[in-house]
Amino acid sequence: MKQIFVLAEHRKQQLRDTTWEAIAAGRKVAGEFGAELSCILLASNPDGMADQLAKECPKVLVVDDPKFETFNSDSFIKALTPILKDRGPFMLIMGNSNSVIDLAPGLSVALDAALATDCFGLEVQDGKLQALRQIYSYKVNSVVSFKDAERVVVTLRAGSFPFTPVAGQTGAVEKIASPLGAEPLRKRFLNYVEAEKGDVDIASADIIVSLGRGIGDEPEMEAFESLAETMGGVLACSRPIVDKSILPKYHQVGTSGVEVKPKVYLALGISGAFQHIGGIKGSPLIIAINKDPRAPIFRVAQYGIVGDLHQVVPALEAKIKELKK
Amino acid sequence: MDIVVCMKWIPDTSEAELAVDSGGKDIKKDNLDYDINDWDRFAIEEAVRIKEKVGGKVTVVSVAPEDAEEMLRESLARGADEAYHLWDDTFEGSDGYAVSRILAQFIKGRPHDLILTGTLAEDDGGAQVGGMLAAMLGLPSSALVSKIVIQDSKVTFNRELEGGLYEAVEMDLPAVLAVATGLNEPRFVSIRAVRKVAGMDIPMLDLGEVGLNEAQVGSQGSRIQVEKVFLPPEGEGAEIIKGSPEEAAARVAEILKEKGGIG
Ligand SMILES: Cc1cc2nc3c(=O)[nH]c(=O)nc-3n(C[C@H](O)[C@H](O)[C@H](O)COP(=O)(O)OP(=O)(O)OC[C@H]3O[C@@H](n4cnc5c(N)ncnc54)[C@H](O)[C@@H]3O)c2cc1C
Ligand SMILES: Cc1cc2nc3c(=O)[nH]c(=O)nc-3n(C[C@H](O)[C@H](O)[C@H](O)COP(=O)(O)OP(=O)(O)OC[C@H]3O[C@@H](n4cnc5c(N)ncnc54)[C@H](O)[C@@H]3O)c2cc1C
Repeated sequence: MKQIFVLAEHRKQQLRDTTWEAIAAGRKVAGEFGAELSCILLASNPDGMADQLAKECPKVLVVDDPKFETFNSDSFIKALTPILKDRGPFMLIMGNSNSVIDLAPGLSVALDAALATDCFGLEVQDGKLQALRQIYSYKVNSVVSFKDAERVVVTLRAGSFPFTPVAGQTGAVEKIASPLGAEPLRKRFLNYVEAEKGDVDIASADIIVSLGRGIGDEPEMEAFESLAETMGGVLACSRPIVDKSILPKYHQVGTSGVEVKPKVYLALGISGAFQHIGGIKGSPLIIAINKDPRAPIFRVAQYGIVGDLHQVVPALEAKIKELKK
Repeated sequence: MDIVVCMKWIPDTSEAELAVDSGGKDIKKDNLDYDINDWDRFAIEEAVRIKEKVGGKVTVVSVAPEDAEEMLRESLARGADEAYHLWDDTFEGSDGYAVSRILAQFIKGRPHDLILTGTLAEDDGGAQVGGMLAAMLGLPSSALVSKIVIQDSKVTFNRELEGGLYEAVEMDLPAVLAVATGLNEPRFVSIRAVRKVAGMDIPMLDLGEVGLNEAQVGSQGSRIQVEKVFLPPEGEGAEIIKGSPEEAAARVAEILKEKGGIG
C-alpha cells in the first residue's frame, strides 16, 4: 500500500472539519507505512480550498467542475474511480460524515476496494493495516483487517483523529481534467432544506433533561415535563424519540440534531451512541440514569445511576422540591 | 412499481449483558433475542405506502439464518406481497460486500424499479449494503433518505446532513434508497393481518439457487476479516451512585444543587 489519499469534503465552498481529521489520520498511516500522502479535492472553483489544503498536505490533486458544487455520490464515484484506479495500491481515507455515508459503499465497489466504515483507530501491524470499529450498538470493539486488499477505503468517526496544523508547507497542486462528460447525472441536487425552528432553543439552555428510547413506547410525558420544570430546564431527546414523533426534531441532541452545551445534562434512558454524545461534548456535567451498567453513556458521564428511570425520576423530583424549599 | 426491500435480522443487544465467545471474534449470541433491524421497519413501511399510492408489488428479501422467517412473515403481514429467504451455511461470515453480492445476484433476475434498505444495521453498523448493492446493480443510490416521492420515472427525497440540515435530491429510477429512521410511522400489525399470511410460502434459496459459488460468499467472498472483538475497558467513566432509587435520587439532587443544576 504505497499511496495514501484523503478526500477533501466541502459544503457551500468551505472545507469541512472532517477533511482535517482525515488528513491527521492520513499523516499517521503514511508515516507508519512510509507512504506518500495526497489530498483529493473535487470542487467547483477549487483554488481557495486547494491553497488551504496545500499548506497541510504535500500533494493536492484538484479537479474543477461545476458538477462538484455539491457532494453528489453519483458524480464523485464517476470521477474518483478512474483517477484512483490507475494509481496502484492505495488507501483512501474519508470522514464518516453523512455525505460520505452516501458515497463510500458505492465508491468502494467501483474501486474494487475493501471498505471499513466508522473507524476510530487505524494501526499498521507487521506491515498490515488494522482498523478499530464498534459493533452491537457501539457496545463492543472490533478489530478488522483487509486480507491482502491492494485498495482499501476507510471512513473515520468524527473526533478520533484530532488535527494539529503544521503550516508552512507548500504542497504541490496537480490539476486533473474532469473525467465527467456532458451526460447528465442520474442523481441531481435540488436545494438545501433548513432545520425547522421551534418554540424552544435547546442550544442555549443551561439545564437539559434528555429522554432516550428507555422511556418506553408510550411514555407518560407529564413526569418528565414536571421534572424539567422543577429543575428550571428544558426537555431534549435522542433520535428515536423524534422518530416516534414523541418530540419534534428541534429537540434532538446529536450530530444530526442540535449541539448543546448546558451546565447540566441529565440523560434518561439514553445509551450514548456516538452520534448522540457528539452533541453533548460541551457539557461540563453529565448525569445518566440507565438500567444497563455497560451503557456507553456512563463513559462520558460524571455521575450515573444504574436503575429504572421510572423509579428514579419521581424520587428525584421529590428530592429536588425538598432542597428548593 | 416493483419494489424490493432488503431486511436484516439482528441480535438485540441494547440491554443485554454481553460477553465475547470462545473464538474471540464475536459475542455469545445464544441468549440474545433477535429482531428486525429498526431501520428496516421504516423501509418496509415506506415500500407498502408507495405501493398503496402508485400500485405495484413489494418483495422482501433477507440473507439470514432459519429463524429469520418470523421477520419475513411479519413483513408479509405489514403488506409485502412476497418474501424470499436466502440462506446457506456457506453464507456464514459474509461481510457487507459478500451480503451485497448475494442480494444483488438475487435482485438482478427480477423486476426492480426501486430497492429500499435501511441506512445502517444496528449490530455491525456497517452502513454499506445499500450503496454496495446499487453499485453492483449499476444503479444510482442515496443514504439517510426521507420524504420519498415517486413521480413518473423519477424519485425526489430529502437526504439528512448534519445539524438538522437536509438536501433535496432528484434521482432517476431504477434506484436504491437507504432510508433514515423516522421517515414514516410504521403501522400496527393486527392479529388478523398475521393470520392472513400464516399459510403463505416463503421460499428459501441456497447458494446454487441464488446463482453463486462458494468463493463468492462467506469469509472467502468477503473483503473484511474480523481479527478480534473485545468489550471496552471498564473503570473509566461515571461515578456510579449506589443505593435504592430514593437514596440515589437524593444524592443526585444534592449534586445538582451544588453544580447549579436546579435553575
Ligand atoms: C447518520 C446518523 C446520525 C444520527 N444522529 C443522531 C443524533 O443526532 N442524535 C441521536 O441521539 N442519535 C443519532 N443517531 C442514532 C444513534 O446511533 C442511536 O441509535 C441513538 O442515539 C440511540 O438512542 P437511545 O440512546 O435513546 O436508544 P437506545 O440505544 O435504544 O438506548 C436506550 C437505553 O435506555 C436504557 N433503558 C431502557 N429501559 C430503561 C429504563 N426503564 N430505565 C433506565 N434505562 C433504560 C437501555 O439500557 C439503553 O441503554 C444517528 C445515527 C446515524 C446513523
Ligand atoms: C463480530 C462481527 C464483526 C463484523 N465486522 C464487520 C466489519 O467490520 N465489516 C464488514 O463489512 N462486516 C463485518 N461483519 C459482517 C457483517 O455481519 C456483515 O457485514 C453484514 O451482514 C453486512 O451488513 P452491515 O451490518 O454492514 O449492514 P448495513 O450495511 O449496516 O445494513 C444496511 C441495510 O442493508 C440491508 N442488509 C444488511 N444486511 C442484510 C442481510 N443480511 N440481508 C438483507 N438485507 C441486509 C438492510 O436493509 C440494512 O438496513 C462482522 C460480523 C461480526 C459477527
